[in-house]
Amino acid sequence: MKRLIELSINGERHELAVEPQTTLIEVLREQLGLTGTKEACGTGECGSCTVLIDGKPILSCLTLAMDCCEQHIVTIEGIAEGDQLTSVQQAFLDCGAIQCGFCTPGMVLSITALLERNSRPSETDIKKALEGHLCRCTGYNKIMEAVKKAAEHMAAKDS
Amino acid sequence: MHFPKFEYQRPTSVEEAVQMLKEYGSRAHLVAGGTDLYPRMKYNLVRPEVVISLKGVPVKPPAIEGGGLHVDALMTLVDVARSQVILERIPLLAEAALNVGSNQIRHMGTLGGNLCLENRCTYYNQSHTFQYVEPCFKRDGDRCYLIPKGKKCQAVFMADTVPALICMDAKVEIQSETKSRQLPVEGLYTGDPLSPLALSEGEIVSGVIIPNSASIHGSGFIKFSLRGGMEFGAVTVAVLLHAADDGRTCDSARIVVGSVAARPVRTLKAETTLAGQELSDKLLREVAKKVATEIRPVMHHGYSAPFLRECLEVHAFRTLTLATKNIRRD
Amino acid sequence: MTSKNPETHKLDYVGKRIPRKDGPDKVTGRAKYTVDIQLPGMLVGSILRSPYPHARILNIDTSRARRLKGVKAVITSEDTLGMKYAFVDTPRYPPDEYALAKHRVRFIGEPVAAVAATDPYILGEALGLIRVDYEPLEAVFDPEEAMQLGASEIHPSHPKVKEPFPNIAGKTESEWGDIEHGFAHSDYVREDRFESHLRTHGYLEPQATVASYEPGGKLNVWTSSQGTFLKRSKLAPILGLPLSAVRVHKAYVGGAFGGKVDLFSHEFCAALLSMKIGRPVKIEASREEIFTAYRHGEPLIAEIKTGVKKDGTLVAQKFRIINNCGAYRGTGVVVIFLAWGYMMIPYRVPNLKYEGFSVYTNNPPRTAQRGHGCPQIRFAVESQLDMIAEELGLDPVEIRLKNARRQGEQLPNGDNVHNCGLKECIQKSAQHTQFLEKYGKSRPASSSNARLHRGIGMGVSAYITGSLIYPNSSAAIVKMNDDGTATLLTGALDIGQGAETILCQIVAEELKIPMEEIQVIAADTETTPTDLGSWISGNAYVTGNATRIAATEVRKKLLDMAAEEMEANIADLVLENKGVYVAGSPERRLSYQQLITSSIQKRRGDPIIGEGHWRNVRDVPFHPSLATTKGRWSDSYAFDAQVAEVEVDVETGQARLVRAVTAHDCGFPINPLLVEGQIDGQVSMALGHAFLEDVMMKEGRTLNPNWLEYRMPTIHNMAFSEYIDVITESYKKDAPYRTKEVGEGYVSGILAAIANAIYDAVGVRLHSTPFTPEKILRGLGKIK
Repeated sequence: MKRLIELSINGERHELAVEPQTTLIEVLREQLGLTGTKEACGTGECGSCTVLIDGKPILSCLTLAMDCCEQHIVTIEGIAEGDQLTSVQQAFLDCGAIQCGFCTPGMVLSITALLERNSRPSETDIKKALEGHLCRCTGYNKIMEAVKKAAEHMAAKDS
Repeated sequence: MHFPKFEYQRPTSVEEAVQMLKEYGSRAHLVAGGTDLYPRMKYNLVRPEVVISLKGVPVKPPAIEGGGLHVDALMTLVDVARSQVILERIPLLAEAALNVGSNQIRHMGTLGGNLCLENRCTYYNQSHTFQYVEPCFKRDGDRCYLIPKGKKCQAVFMADTVPALICMDAKVEIQSETKSRQLPVEGLYTGDPLSPLALSEGEIVSGVIIPNSASIHGSGFIKFSLRGGMEFGAVTVAVLLHAADDGRTCDSARIVVGSVAARPVRTLKAETTLAGQELSDKLLREVAKKVATEIRPVMHHGYSAPFLRECLEVHAFRTLTLATKNIRRD
Repeated sequence: MTSKNPETHKLDYVGKRIPRKDGPDKVTGRAKYTVDIQLPGMLVGSILRSPYPHARILNIDTSRARRLKGVKAVITSEDTLGMKYAFVDTPRYPPDEYALAKHRVRFIGEPVAAVAATDPYILGEALGLIRVDYEPLEAVFDPEEAMQLGASEIHPSHPKVKEPFPNIAGKTESEWGDIEHGFAHSDYVREDRFESHLRTHGYLEPQATVASYEPGGKLNVWTSSQGTFLKRSKLAPILGLPLSAVRVHKAYVGGAFGGKVDLFSHEFCAALLSMKIGRPVKIEASREEIFTAYRHGEPLIAEIKTGVKKDGTLVAQKFRIINNCGAYRGTGVVVIFLAWGYMMIPYRVPNLKYEGFSVYTNNPPRTAQRGHGCPQIRFAVESQLDMIAEELGLDPVEIRLKNARRQGEQLPNGDNVHNCGLKECIQKSAQHTQFLEKYGKSRPASSSNARLHRGIGMGVSAYITGSLIYPNSSAAIVKMNDDGTATLLTGALDIGQGAETILCQIVAEELKIPMEEIQVIAADTETTPTDLGSWISGNAYVTGNATRIAATEVRKKLLDMAAEEMEANIADLVLENKGVYVAGSPERRLSYQQLITSSIQKRRGDPIIGEGHWRNVRDVPFHPSLATTKGRWSDSYAFDAQVAEVEVDVETGQARLVRAVTAHDCGFPINPLLVEGQIDGQVSMALGHAFLEDVMMKEGRTLNPNWLEYRMPTIHNMAFSEYIDVITESYKKDAPYRTKEVGEGYVSGILAAIANAIYDAVGVRLHSTPFTPEKILRGLGKIK
């Protein structure tokens, strides 16, 4: 039996018909056409489905839509401002941190949350923040570079 | 990968939650973070008709009351790991919480959820549509796939925060509709892999109370795994040492090991060996050897028993060394 | 890392670290992968799979499933044309797979039926309502057991194999010189056996297909693949459709690494279900299905006997390779051919005898995984070479230099290595890592940590570029737009390696049009020309040259038009930023826009379009014989030497890759930034192969079908990765350039280097992967 709920996604309110077992990722991908959030495993092991809920990195494949009603959800589609990419997105491009791109949206959001909380992360901080993201293409080397570059860029912008 | 269908309830208080538990009985399952229950539901290992989501219940911040610290079961693991008061008073718990899963899982999963983590076995924790179709003991069947001629289930206890809590002599607070009770954390675990938690129907773990430690103590925690992150441990060791005034003689010790049996194991003989002794490398090696003989690790997750025994000795020594180094005056 | 070859005249795009063209789409979530495709009225489909490793199918009853409300179609092999298909389809190795099992199943997970329904719940219920009666048969899982007389027969052995072994899918044999004479005249001979284990690709995007059959007979397909033309060539015939009735569209691909080359049952089933129902059908495999029923990398057993002179010169080598190919022939007969290849390229072996068997077992069929046999072979050869060096009192660097191929050397199959930089790779990697200072001096990582030991090791490898196999060639079309921008039509498929980017760089270079003003339309079997695909390491060399030729044709037309309009000599004209000017008089300039207008006016409406095509080994029509290895193979051989520094904890046996140095002869890099990414990714895959990854199977079932227990490297396991260029080729205008592959060759040398480094660190010589802590502890005598 479907219920009507209201979710705030990327700053917009959406009225959606969902069942109790409908996950947030299903709502995003199938009802709203926001296919940037990816499902690679469905059981919380790879990080591809990561979105930001109230600024925190959360696995949308293990989150019920009905649990998100009073929360502020941000997906990969919601961080750039028009053509203006964020520092993290730009750093990914510049450093060659993208290959097949399937892990990219989740990674970018986790890094965005990290840098929001800690603008000068150590390598250990970065590894701890990204340990739940699998990437098969890059070996993580250029992703690590991109995080550091984004942090530098953001620090320069702030100063 | 989609869920089986279920009904959803969202209480706004612990009282409301236990009322619902009473009402639905065995048809319902509580869920906090969902990082343990939901994958098992997706694998069709557990099929509650009703899911009672605790995400609407407010979380109380850690509170110093009486002789100890009260931590709400619904506190997320990342908040436990970062909490100033927990870092100051019980760094062992913060350290353990930081080792669970991944950053995302720590943002979702709760302390209570970790306490109630279901036992695991690779043969069990997967779907059974065309593999291992005949149910094993844990699936109410008649066989074990891990040990083909085995007569009992071998699913292993894997929660990381629990060895730390047992070291701290923590108590778990359990609430039902009619009453509230406390018991030592280790009492929560039956040692029966088929039914690992000593919780009755209608009960919810609502918090943990950690008594103040003796003034001179040191703790250490090591979770050994192949990758160093996003993994269940091969062996997990938590150590708490209470020292005498000289800071070098051990008054008493707690050595608790996880991921080696159906429940967390306190190595009492090894602990006794430390009591009253001056902490030295030689002593710690001796104690580590005792830990590795006191426990017979069950093979799990692709690790063989001989390998786990060797790792247990090595990591017991390393954790004891860490705890010794960390001895400080509060 | 930039190309320093002095021959390279001024290049503005090729050789530059240009960010990838599809980067913005991927980093904003706009990129659509097959899993993202949604079509109106789309149904979901799924496969019913065999729970038995070997059984006769007595009966399939789908009646209850068909009756379920919401089920739109149920199919079994009876609903198909009953045609077989396979990756290899030659007179010697005819196809042997059915999309849906007919009469018999041979592995747990084999597809038996498929359903399409309106939602996943009905789908799940329907699958449960299909009743299959099986009669179990005896199963065999180990290849050496399967080769024993009396073993349960999975398929009859290949009739052309003379040995009386059962279950032989195919055999490759090759010989030259006089092997026994060689051994008799060797100063030192040793025999060793190495085993490589089962590991898997671990691509993030699941296997998925969307098929949509239009009334009027057109089948549209989106599928996660490694080449749209290859998939179409396999799919159309077994559906009974002409190629022209099947359009495989472009979709972004979320990684493949060899695991998406074969045609899969779900692709056929999605298509057939859609044809029956008249609505789009999507089938997406779950991660568990991918781990249990799809194809993993080939586990190889390598028995090597090698004879050398006391100065380390290789005299004779005898190889016996056994591949556990699983329940169907798959790519198994290719890997036993390639194993020969990857063994004979890097070093000179005057006397050689090779035999490779691909053996059926009741496991899911295996397939190519990045390197396709090369990692397993280099691990074996390089480990043994180090053992030989130690016996002879030589160091690992000198023995490799002694035997390394040289410039212009002829290979036994008639190919030439042309500009071969292998020696330089070995020398530079040794120099950069101070190899000889460190080697043989197992060092504690730091003075206070006696439990951590560091070791260093080297591994050498070589790889082929874009060999001959269907589609055999790549073509490209460059068309100019009215405004002077260009569009590239290429069948190339970007699976993450950057295919579209490098091809765009070539067009940009030839026509001096900025990258952002070149549109790339790719990988659509209807609208783009044929392409080799992204599974044979041929994109940069084959498709690249095709693209260059197409762009060159456009350039010539533009210059021709400009010469006429400006009354200048072509030799005096310079191309720059979508225009042509006369050298020395930049004000005498015409834009491409103007030139195109003139061309249309004065050249009977010619809007300026260029076409190009290319193939490898142009003077030979066919690929070499898989069974005899005779025949030309490639014009372009890549070489590398890699050095690994590992750290081993002698108390726990845990080892990690600390540093990887890759000295590589890739010819020249079209995009150094992308090449570095390829190296990093392969180092990561190799360290996973070495230390962490293991598909654990018992009796045909996968024990660890998830990412918690199939341990792919996380960011914690990242190694410090360095690159040394050895440039042996250069980009050429108006002439074919030879560049060499970078996508598969760097996963092998580093794996071998890791094995050698572990020995250097702790004196434990491992003969099988993975190099688990347990094996290391046993080697150290810490566990019995």
